[in-house]
Amino acid sequence: MKKTLFISFGLVFSLAASAQKLSTRNAEVSFFSATPVENIDATNQQVSSILNLDNGQFAFLVPIKAFQFEKALMQEHFNENYMESGQFPTAKFTGEIVDYNKISLDKDGKYTLVLAGTMTMHGVSKEIKQEVMVTVKGGKLSLKSDFNILASDYKVEIPAAKADNISNSLAVKVSATYD
Amino acid sequence: MTKLYFFLILALSLNLSAQDDLLAELEATSLPATEYTFATWKGTKVVNLQTNEMPGEGVLQYTILHRFGAFNQDFVYNFFGLDNAQVRLTLDYSPKEWLNVGLGHTGFLKTYDAFAKYRLTRQSKGEKNMPVSITGFSSVYYANQRFNDGLDRNATTRFSFVNELIIARKFTPNISAQIVPTLVHFNLVETPNDNNTIFALGLAARYKITKMHAITVEYVPQFNGNSYQVPGENGAAPSLEKFSNALSIGMDIETGGHVFQLFVTNAQGVAEPYVFAQNTGSWLEGDLHFGFNISRVFTIKKKK
Repeated sequence: MKKTLFISFGLVFSLAASAQKLSTRNAEVSFFSATPVENIDATNQQVSSILNLDNGQFAFLVPIKAFQFEKALMQEHFNENYMESGQFPTAKFTGEIVDYNKISLDKDGKYTLVLAGTMTMHGVSKEIKQEVMVTVKGGKLSLKSDFNILASDYKVEIPAAKADNISNSLAVKVSATYD
Repeated sequence: MTKLYFFLILALSLNLSAQDDLLAELEATSLPATEYTFATWKGTKVVNLQTNEMPGEGVLQYTILHRFGAFNQDFVYNFFGLDNAQVRLTLDYSPKEWLNVGLGHTGFLKTYDAFAKYRLTRQSKGEKNMPVSITGFSSVYYANQRFNDGLDRNATTRFSFVNELIIARKFTPNISAQIVPTLVHFNLVETPNDNNTIFALGLAARYKITKMHAITVEYVPQFNGNSYQVPGENGAAPSLEKFSNALSIGMDIETGGHVFQLFVTNAQGVAEPYVFAQNTGSWLEGDLHFGFNISRVFTIKKKK
């Protein structure tokens, strides 16, 4: 009994260990804030992501300080006054692709599926469910998702004096191509 | 049997935490190795001392610095000191991320100056661990004021120089402090007994009370300060008095592209050599000046 148990446990463990995962360090996250006064646009190309090919579970890790702005001072204020990246250096997004088994990795194709998971940013976690475009091309898999988030949902305060310059609603674009 | 349950639970929990494991895997491999501290101060100056901050690469900064007349100089008659304010204007630019150069003009002695600020180290943690940011500041001043004493003056006597080594640390998101070994050199001093080169140690700290506001305090004691002659009253012989150490208390207010700094200081000269080594104002005697520094930045070269 004991022996079988150990063997089966060992089996489960080795299965887990051999789960096929794809990852990338060059995933991209950008956001855009539009107000009549000014547009703010920042891109982060140092996002890392990992995808478990067995079950469609994924994780994104976004170093906040790596967001690049057009103006140096905007970038400083983003980090210092809004995202407080000294205390909250990363944003995280974990979850799974719903109906992942619809994807066939053997042939090229495009799928519109749903990402469901938890986004943690500025110390606040929120459930997220958004459409994702999955592309398989030449055996490579990539994800692309566009959605809006509210700064206030993550306790990122925009003072009244800055409300004309910074929108509370931000258009976020996420894309990753796994190697 | 209990063991079986134990393993089952273990297997189950392994499965549940699979997403977190994915995250852990990322965290272990992909985070930036070194994390640099930023925004140790809101502005490029505390009040009179430089900070380790400088405008980003490709950014032009314009500053307007005012020191109003003293509280004890017919304050209301002089419209709260505004009528005898000293002004300094500067324009600087950062051609590199680590280098800032600029020009200035100060009303006191009609002084023109050129300066450079250069980053030597940045406070960081992680793979590269550096407890402090160290920045150098060097400037040269030319006092262009006309003299009516009929003496010949050659141009070299009009020059003075300041070097600051700014050693700053951001202790918490709200608390930053710096020590600034400072060297002031005058090519010409009043008497043979005066030191041409004066050493001082600047001390400064700030506390952020909100995200946009901070309280600052700054003190610059001199080690070998010079003295100046005070005319004696009612025909008495003139006496010598030590130049004061500059002490300032202020508040930073940040509004987007501007930083406003409002403060009270005992130094009215505005330009560094006069503030640090030729300051006749005393806190105890009420020689206090309202002042402000205002900066505005313009992004000349966009980052992308």
